[in-house]
Amino acid sequence: MENTFSVGLKHNIAPHQEFLLQGSILDSHKEVLLHRLRGLCDNAEKAPEPFYDHEMVFMLRGATAQQNPVLFRVRRSVEPRDDTSWHIRYLGTSEVGDKSRHTLVRACFDVACSNNVVQFLNEMGFKLDHEYCVKGYFFHKGRMKVTVSKIFRMAPSGGSDINTQEAMSHSHLVELSVVAPAGQEQIADDMKNFAEQLKPLIQLEKVDQKRLSVQ
Amino acid sequence: MGVVSVYMFPVPEGKSGQQVVESLQKSIELLGATKTGNFCVDCETFQTSIQNTQQRQVNILHSSDHPASCFAILDAGTCLVADSLFDGLMQKLKHYYQQRKGSKIESKGQRYEFGDFVFKVGSVSLASSFKGILLEIEYCPCIIAGDCWGLLKEMASSIVGNVAEQQPNVIKNKLEHVYTTADTMCQYLEHFNNYKKQTIPPTAVSTGR
Repeated sequence: MENTFSVGLKHNIAPHQEFLLQGSILDSHKEVLLHRLRGLCDNAEKAPEPFYDHEMVFMLRGATAQQNPVLFRVRRSVEPRDDTSWHIRYLGTSEVGDKSRHTLVRACFDVACSNNVVQFLNEMGFKLDHEYCVKGYFFHKGRMKVTVSKIFRMAPSGGSDINTQEAMSHSHLVELSVVAPAGQEQIADDMKNFAEQLKPLIQLEKVDQKRLSVQ
Repeated sequence: MGVVSVYMFPVPEGKSGQQVVESLQKSIELLGATKTGNFCVDCETFQTSIQNTQQRQVNILHSSDHPASCFAILDAGTCLVADSLFDGLMQKLKHYYQQRKGSKIESKGQRYEFGDFVFKVGSVSLASSFKGILLEIEYCPCIIAGDCWGLLKEMASSIVGNVAEQQPNVIKNKLEHVYTTADTMCQYLEHFNNYKKQTIPPTAVSTGR
């Protein structure tokens, strides 16, 4: 039997490429941005959809140099607590590209899974590298996804109560992304146009993550 | 989705697999069961490729009854149920886990419905050579194995005989818990591993003269 994944890849219908723009906004201006996004995005009549997730980043490290470490990001919803929300996300190396490309492009696999994933990855040889909590709001316009979120350090006690957690910064992370099948480059133009509409409130750019890690 | 028991159906000497499958299908049809299409359960094995470390195995199973899911089972028995995109994640781990060559084993055949029961008669093939027959019997209205084992056993014994008395290990360990498809996949894996361990029957050696 040919599995659905290979069928999906062959016919190029499996979404596995992420187009991404990032920016940040000071906490004090967050409300203005949320208001603007609510007007621009779908379901304007509803209040912005909140989310509160816990992300654990697992790493599989090899003994030899040719074995690059592999990172799996395991995420679940903390509030509302939902056992069906567990999923693994794999992100490939980001390609910044030249000026003609408006967004960052990277491989992206989102795989929903059962709640024993932490035990499973540990038994497979993965080690927990770092973890954090993300709290924010989620919007969508067509297939574009916009999140406005704040990253929190995990409390030393390991609890996920937001009141005891320490925020990483005084600003919110804003991400505009689409996960699409390969070769749909035109989506980057739609994203660029959408990002233009949020200026000058926020500047969404392709952030070269390689440069961040060097500094 | 109910409680499932998978049995190994013996192929007596002197008969071909095809003959036994046909007579098994006939006896199920005689019960009054109706054909409801085909099914397939397949399994691929991935093994750690790093030397000097503990050998680990990941078995990836798919079932045609759950086409959007993928079941990953470790040696220790931990079973992760994930989207079928998990196959893509395994490809990303190819420097750590490599697919064992010729390890693809599958059980494929006819599916039948008979009232509250579902039968699946599968021919098992390892790297396209016939290995044996697996019969799956499912009792749909119940999800607690302990509550319907008697019924399931009675139905099974009319087809497979005394083998039905023996509870599959998976069921034995969780009689009072909710039965899931992951448990069915563990049963298939156990049978697949047994088939793989079987030594190839000695064939007549010709002297070449």
